[in-house]
Amino acid sequence: MKKIINSPEAVVNEMCLGMERAHPDYLVFDPKYRVLSRKQPDKSKVCLISGGGSGHEPAHGGFVGKGMLDAAVCGDVFASPSTVQVYNAIVNNKTDKGTLLIIKNYTGDKLNFEAAAEMAQEDDDIAVEKVYVEDDVAVKNSLYTVGRRGVAGTVFVHKIAGAAAETGLELPQVKRIAEKVAENVRSIGFALTSCTVPAKGTPTFTLAEDELEFGVGIHGEPGVERKKITGSDDLAQKLLDMILEDMPLVRGEKAALMINGLGATPLQELYILNNSAGKILDQHGIKVYRTFVGNYMTAIDMAGASISLLKLDDETMAYLDSPADTPAFGLL
Amino acid sequence: MDVLTVKHIEIIIETMTDIIIENEVPFCQLDSAAGDGDFGMSLAKGFREVKARSGELSRESIGHFLKDVGMIITEYCGGASGPIWGSAFRSAAKYSAGAAALDLNGIAEMLNCAVEGIQKRGGAKLGDKTLLDALIPAAQSLRISANSGLSISEASKLAAVSAVQGGEKTRSYVASKGRASYLGERSLNYPDAGAVAIGVIFTGISKKIEDILK
Repeated sequence: MKKIINSPEAVVNEMCLGMERAHPDYLVFDPKYRVLSRKQPDKSKVCLISGGGSGHEPAHGGFVGKGMLDAAVCGDVFASPSTVQVYNAIVNNKTDKGTLLIIKNYTGDKLNFEAAAEMAQEDDDIAVEKVYVEDDVAVKNSLYTVGRRGVAGTVFVHKIAGAAAETGLELPQVKRIAEKVAENVRSIGFALTSCTVPAKGTPTFTLAEDELEFGVGIHGEPGVERKKITGSDDLAQKLLDMILEDMPLVRGEKAALMINGLGATPLQELYILNNSAGKILDQHGIKVYRTFVGNYMTAIDMAGASISLLKLDDETMAYLDSPADTPAFGLL
Repeated sequence: MDVLTVKHIEIIIETMTDIIIENEVPFCQLDSAAGDGDFGMSLAKGFREVKARSGELSRESIGHFLKDVGMIITEYCGGASGPIWGSAFRSAAKYSAGAAALDLNGIAEMLNCAVEGIQKRGGAKLGDKTLLDALIPAAQSLRISANSGLSISEASKLAAVSAVQGGEKTRSYVASKGRASYLGERSLNYPDAGAVAIGVIFTGISKKIEDILK
């Protein structure tokens, strides 16, 4: 393992402190409960809290700021934050309009965010609602699994629900809009290399020089299949086929596209993948209303990318266009 | 009067804590067979903290006491055990809020609330190969005993037997929750660590109850 760290145990705290130092106008870090909150909180709006395991930077702390999140709770690398961490995030960031938790659909995150929500509702009389993101089409949902994983599509939920909250809407409305985004976003990723979790020190899995893991999760979970690597056009075709099979879009429909790097892929390649994806969507007659290319929801140092497609309507389009000003996401 | 007072509940939690700490390694070993092997450790971590901070726990009522215990468990038990065991204590605390003592009927109802607290969290039901496979039979046994007018001592002995049997039965179940669920059929023949632990804990508690209510 070759990483710029002091010790595996200190990774999350030192990273959060580094974020706070880099963005002092945006972020305040609470080292006790490992929560990144807005420097200038707005108590008159619905509070949006997200978070989960660390290792997905800039998610979620990078999306704390005007027009997106109010706070992000940081668990250990790839491990859910504890109930008490989430509970304190809710209590310390409470506003007059209640709190919406944006939860990626993983067993640990669900357990801890839900238990924290219950505590805040019962002990502190805070109205708390939850929205779950499960956008990864690589995982087939069935009765016998815990459901699909939440991945990069979560960022669209942060953005659009965040914009809705900023306009002063009430909690049920913000929740409805967040759910609409969650229902209309699909993602799928692939890995060219594994990630290395600092505490483990060795790669989670190994891929041969000419192989990629198709459908990989953002913690290095296995995907749909291991494939021989091909060109960007072919890859984009296969990724978008999976997405469009799950969520058909008709000609003329509008969508937002996110080409998300998983941590170790250069922008050069992400832009090439975006060009491939754009051409395919053009062929389908799908209008790409906005495109986001960059590292939004990473898997530490994994090379690879994911494609997310969000089907838009007038309401979500308007909120997507609203300004956002956070360390990792800016829209004027 | 056949009741459990705040003091009795305190002794029961002490007993439970000692059992969990003593069994840290065996509980982990049980969990390694099909789960991820951290169960005994996660549980002991929380209960060790309960022991260390026992002086700070409220004795105002059974509910106050159990709520404080639940908060520590929620904060210090690792993995899924924190929210699950913490919810059980919080639900039990809600039922017993303000109570200075509980008769068998109340105890049975309190345990039933603990079961509901866990179910609300993890969504598991009987047969999912979780701790509920021991806890639900124990709660049902207490309910039947209460309806039949048995003493608390007799009832807790029977509940412990039901819990142990329930734990043993999980060998024949396929896991559908938590990390063991990824093993599917391969989880067969191994009992669920949480369910076995409930049997061990209830057995120890029933012995203690017999002593203190003598």
